[in-house]
Amino acid sequence: MTQRKSYAVGTGLFIVLGFAALAYLATQTTSVANVSQGPSYDVTTQFANVGQLKERAPVKVAGVRVGQVESIALEPGKEVADVTLSIDKKYGQIPVDSVATIYTSGLLGDQYVGLQYGNAKQYVKDGGRLALSKSTEPLEAMLARFFGAGAAADDLGGTYAVKARFSNVGALSPGAPVKMAGVAIGSVKSVQADPVKLDALVTLSIDKKYDQIPDDSSAAVFTSGLIGSQYVAIQPGGSPDMLKDGDEMILTQSAMQLEDLIGKFLVNGSPGDKSGGKSSDAK
Amino acid sequence: MSAQTQRNVVTEALAQIGNCGLFLLTILKSVPRSFRYGRETVRQLWFVGAMSLTIIMTCGLFVGMVLGLQLYYVLSIFGGTAASGTVVAIAIYRELGPVVTALLFAGRAGTSITAEIGLMRATDQIAAMEMMAVDPIAYVVAPRFLAGLVAMPLLCSVFCALGVFGGHLVGVTWLGIDNGTFWSNMTANVDVWKDVVNGVIYKSVAFGAVVSLIAVFQGYTTPPTSEGVAYATTRTVVASSIAILALDFVLTAFLM
Repeated sequence: MTQRKSYAVGTGLFIVLGFAALAYLATQTTSVANVSQGPSYDVTTQFANVGQLKERAPVKVAGVRVGQVESIALEPGKEVADVTLSIDKKYGQIPVDSVATIYTSGLLGDQYVGLQYGNAKQYVKDGGRLALSKSTEPLEAMLARFFGAGAAADDLGGTYAVKARFSNVGALSPGAPVKMAGVAIGSVKSVQADPVKLDALVTLSIDKKYDQIPDDSSAAVFTSGLIGSQYVAIQPGGSPDMLKDGDEMILTQSAMQLEDLIGKFLVNGSPGDKSGGKSSDAK
Repeated sequence: MSAQTQRNVVTEALAQIGNCGLFLLTILKSVPRSFRYGRETVRQLWFVGAMSLTIIMTCGLFVGMVLGLQLYYVLSIFGGTAASGTVVAIAIYRELGPVVTALLFAGRAGTSITAEIGLMRATDQIAAMEMMAVDPIAYVVAPRFLAGLVAMPLLCSVFCALGVFGGHLVGVTWLGIDNGTFWSNMTANVDVWKDVVNGVIYKSVAFGAVVSLIAVFQGYTTPPTSEGVAYATTRTVVASSIAILALDFVLTAFLM
């Protein structure tokens, strides 16, 4: 009889332990743990782009969680996302001119809505609305801004081709932008090695609307940012004649090699472009 | 000759599956009658469930720890070690928890069920029960089947909890992933229905039913010899393992 009692108790313990483990898994390690318990109120706001924001994503003030995203819907007939935020009642003092911004936590992290308080004396009420919001920015746009390169304008209304010779193009590849004064005016059509002159022949397609480029302008291969992609920069000259389709640009400056650059920096003088005579480098 | 043998093997396997299905119906039919022997079911639950806890907890802990290590290594390549909590939890809830628990359950509990029932058959205890008008299906088979069905999801829950603990131990305590990041990433990305209910509950109940059914069926239909019992025990492990992994694929496809 005692033995029977012991296994009955043990079985009971086992069942309790099993359910406790299940309850722990379900409530502490899943998104259930993030569901706010207390009463909450809804605030709506609008974003031009919600990116990867999901429902139940956290809403934070000063990095502290104050609520969650209740729903995300497209405003009918507009290219705007309506986002409803469910905020805990105890954080009831959010100024009406607060700014809602979509942030990303870490590189791989999830997105959340951050609120920066404004200065208004009025607080947003249940069903209220935050008028000020900042959307997510696609990573591409951010990177492009960081590296300053931007993409070449892809929709070009007709182009004309100009050739340029470089003794060294570095990592320039077809499709790289051609810029004048930092603005993309065309793209690199092809990069070929000249078997006779032993240099690189680069063909640039330049937008037809930029047809007022003097024919003594110089072309240089630049790198945007430290690890950015390379592009061709055009420095306008002073000649009254303009570049035409099929022309070749005489003045070029090759890609700067990091090794050369460091050498220059160290000995305060370039060892000279070894192939300098090939293309009259504009230095 | 060889073609003949081939066909025999195929027809035999089909007959086994068919008999197994019929046996399941018999068990289900006698389940109401087996409630009279509730105490026997509790005793079996003690034996297949509570007694399996040690192995399940140890294995869960080590599976979680090894996942924590491996994920730290792989994710550090991408600078994403913060996601390791999420991946440990999802991998364990969705796949490793139910499957490894079921494989261990087949080895720990399934074999002993088969051997016990097989020996009852070999030593004519089953026949004696029939003589005494005790339904052996209701008294011997159904309690073990029900106990397996109940024990599996509970064992799987314990396995998963220990697995997450093991992943936390290695990732946070030893390798220095931030504790808050580990948990907040996990709670942000693990879904209670898609991950916990579908994995830990649905899958493990299905595996528990399959393993228990195979174990009692192999034991009940064993040839009444010592060699027969040995063979039936082996077949329980082999058939259970294949059934678990095959069923896992099908269930995953449905529950995705």
